[in-house]
Amino acid sequence: MADDLTLLQGTLDVLVLRALALGPVHGYAVARWIEDRSRDELQIEEGALYTALYRMERRGWIESEWGRSDTGRRAKFYQLTAAGRKQLALQTDRWARYSRAVTRVLQPA
Amino acid sequence: MSIWGPDIEREIDDELRFHLEMKAEELVARGMAPDTARHVARERFGSVDDVRRWLRRHDRRKQRRVERVEHMETLLQDIRYGARKLFAQPGFTAAVVIVLGLGIGAATAMFSAVDAALLRSLPFPHAERLVGIRGVGLPFFMSERQTMPLIGDLRGMPDVFESVGAYAAPGGLNLGVEGSPQRLRVALVTTDLFPTIGVGPMIGRGFVDEERSEEATRVVVLSHGLWQRQFGGDPRIVGRQVQLDGRPYEVVGVMPRGFSFPSESDIWLPLREPFGWEDMRPFEQFLPHRLIARLAPGVTTLEAGARLHLLAQRFVTDDRPSTLTAAERATPFRDQLVGNRRTALLVLLGATGLVLLVACANVTNLLLSRAAARRSEMALRATLGASRVRLVRQLLVETLLLALAGGALGVVLAFASLGALGALLPATLDGLVELAVDGRVLAFSLGIATATGLIFGLWPALGASRTNVADAIRSGGITASGSRDMGRLRRAFVVVELAIALMLAVGTGLMLRSLQQLLSTEIGLLPERVATMELSLAGARYDSAAARRVFFESLRERLLAVPGVEAVGMINDLPLRENSGGISLTMWAEGSELPADRDAQMFAQMLDVGGDYFRAMGIPLLRGRLPQPPPARTDTSQPAPITEAVINERFARLQWPGENPVGKRFHVGDFELREVVGVVGDVRARALTSEPLAQQYTSMDASPYRKVAVVARGTLSAATLARHMRETVVAIDGELPPFNVRPMSAVIAAAATPWRLNTLLITTFGVVALVLAAVGVYGVVAYGVAQRRREFGIRRALGAQGTDVVRLVLRESAALAVIGVALGLAGAWAVRRVIGSLLYGVTPSDAVAFTAAPLLLIAVALVATLLPARSAARVEPTVMMREQ
Repeated sequence: MADDLTLLQGTLDVLVLRALALGPVHGYAVARWIEDRSRDELQIEEGALYTALYRMERRGWIESEWGRSDTGRRAKFYQLTAAGRKQLALQTDRWARYSRAVTRVLQPA
Repeated sequence: MSIWGPDIEREIDDELRFHLEMKAEELVARGMAPDTARHVARERFGSVDDVRRWLRRHDRRKQRRVERVEHMETLLQDIRYGARKLFAQPGFTAAVVIVLGLGIGAATAMFSAVDAALLRSLPFPHAERLVGIRGVGLPFFMSERQTMPLIGDLRGMPDVFESVGAYAAPGGLNLGVEGSPQRLRVALVTTDLFPTIGVGPMIGRGFVDEERSEEATRVVVLSHGLWQRQFGGDPRIVGRQVQLDGRPYEVVGVMPRGFSFPSESDIWLPLREPFGWEDMRPFEQFLPHRLIARLAPGVTTLEAGARLHLLAQRFVTDDRPSTLTAAERATPFRDQLVGNRRTALLVLLGATGLVLLVACANVTNLLLSRAAARRSEMALRATLGASRVRLVRQLLVETLLLALAGGALGVVLAFASLGALGALLPATLDGLVELAVDGRVLAFSLGIATATGLIFGLWPALGASRTNVADAIRSGGITASGSRDMGRLRRAFVVVELAIALMLAVGTGLMLRSLQQLLSTEIGLLPERVATMELSLAGARYDSAAARRVFFESLRERLLAVPGVEAVGMINDLPLRENSGGISLTMWAEGSELPADRDAQMFAQMLDVGGDYFRAMGIPLLRGRLPQPPPARTDTSQPAPITEAVINERFARLQWPGENPVGKRFHVGDFELREVVGVVGDVRARALTSEPLAQQYTSMDASPYRKVAVVARGTLSAATLARHMRETVVAIDGELPPFNVRPMSAVIAAAATPWRLNTLLITTFGVVALVLAAVGVYGVVAYGVAQRRREFGIRRALGAQGTDVVRLVLRESAALAVIGVALGLAGAWAVRRVIGSLLYGVTPSDAVAFTAAPLLLIAVALVATLLPARSAARVEPTVMMREQ
């Protein structure tokens, strides 16, 4: 269980960053977005999502602001900072290289 | 926690709740029951409480708050340490704080005063467009033809003057109130004066043209202060009647709060054009007026002056040449108000700058010495692991603490001394400008102090923190070369301080001598045990001369009945009174020619006296006798008897040099011939500093003036006499307010006030600078002695006596003092002319001041040297050697 969590944590970060790339969204919307985009293949553990958000905010990759959802309710919105954008690019690239490498290894000889 | 900002825990709860609600809604939309949906949402989330706990611990703002608290704690630590260190050296700390405080306080207070008087604009809209006009008069109803430009002419020049107004002030009237009559300060203003300056009544209105005529109802505008004090701020004040000099006036308006222009007026009356005797009621024998105009757009003061000059040429004739230049005719209004105080204020500002300079030099010296002494401590702390940043920050905190403390003291001193400075400002300006501690100046002074502290506290601090640890500890904290440079620098500072202190000391000496001369001037009367009081017999009750005679006779009788009262008299114009309102006319001896040139004519003060005036005042009768009032005229067919007059010595000398003037006759203007029956001594009536004018006195016993000053002399103290005078008046007529009831010595003191004040200020600066310089000398010598303990120890061991050591130190210090004094003398000599206009009876190169000051300074420097020198000489040589 611990291993899965660690892997997921690293991947979760880049997914969340990507979710925020298009503009400010609240936590719930991030979860929905990831689930929709992955065609429900990736189930986000919601608690982990929020710890990821808070962690990345401390690192200065994202910033938050309270606002109103489209149903009029009060919600906390997150968006990328300049550093966050850099991280997104960096981690996206790393993930692509990683997945390419693993795929190559697993190819039938 | 919540006072620090948004409630973090609640926000986290809100955020999580939002998520769960959205999730539940989504499930409901998919067909689940609401209760089940909520339950499932929570399940799906994971452990809500664990997550909540984690989030709370890791929230970024919390992290920041913790960091901030840490920072604060470090800072507090630094402050506590710094404060402890400062308190450990109370002498040093007190010295720096006091020096800074004095410098900042003096600079701020003085600059605020100068700013209020000279720099700040008057509180009128576009006050820079206002000019004071000279050489233009007001129409008098008795004038037959126009001999000079009048205000109406200026109104007819709208291309030069947007509007023109005039005022006459200060005058006085009695306010008739049951049981407590008061004397009010009155100003007469033309209808366009308020519009010209741009300030209008807050309630009601000003004056309208109809009120300019003789028959109009009498109207008055009140000041805000009077409205509050006397009428309790009555909201229905407009329309109320007030009694002024026994006549009813209707209130038509109230001026805004704080407005009392001109001359701290309590009420304003309309000034009629042409004006007549009625308008002169609040004044003595003439109408003291001023014109003020607002320049039309685009017109300069010089252009206005030129146009006025052209206008004046129309009235110039051979025997009435114009005496004003074009430039003098129109001057910025502010300059008119400040008058001749400008120089005094600027000189004082210069002195303040010097004191500030000395203060900064002193602080620098103190900080340099401290830095040197702390080197070993810094080195030790560096060894124990303190970073350079930390060390520098430590010293910075200490320096700032000092700067703040000094600044706080300075602020307190500034506020305290502003009250005293208020008296420096010209009286008319007091009605306009509020003298407050100027925020900019305070900020400026604080800035200077902080900057000085930072530069001279930090620079050695940087040096100290960089110090080679081993060296520092080995040499006991003081390296040879470093200390030599420091020593030289410090000595240079002290020389500068001494020089500046000397300049101020010379200035002080000059002012003190000047004051001494002033106070010992022969005034011409004997003010001891003399009291005076002013009265205005207003109202219909005193319309007849007989009624006034009765009053004054009753007054004299009652006063003389008081045991201890020797003489009682009256005069229309009390000598040395503020705002002296008397008139003088040209007079010449019978049989001689009146010189055509006005400057060669003799103008004599027209004075009327009653009772035993000369004896009461102590003015000696030198020849002849006192004047008698003209006897009542029963037979008007006979020519009127010649009025008797007494003249003063100057008059006699000018008109009949070398002869006995008693029995001779003289012309008084175009009016009449008078005969001299006696000669009295000269009196400096106008100002302490001006020569006495020619004076002539006639008797008013038969027909006393309404407005007089009563004088009484006795064996009682002047204060007691004054009290009796007031009580007697009230006993005779409870509705007459006596005013200016005071000993004659108070009148004289008041006349000397501007001088005394200037002297007091410069003396204060001088003393402060002297003290600062002494502290500086002490500091440098103490430091030098501390440095040379080894040397002294060796000398003592080799047989030198304690006194030899002391003499050595004194000699070196004397050298410093002499250099400083020499520099200072050169400086004082160079700027001596600056102070010239503030002096009286003393030249700016007065030998006494220039000799006493250096001697005083050298003496002070030597005393300041003696203390540390003696303490050095007292230590045993063996102790000194062992210290190493």
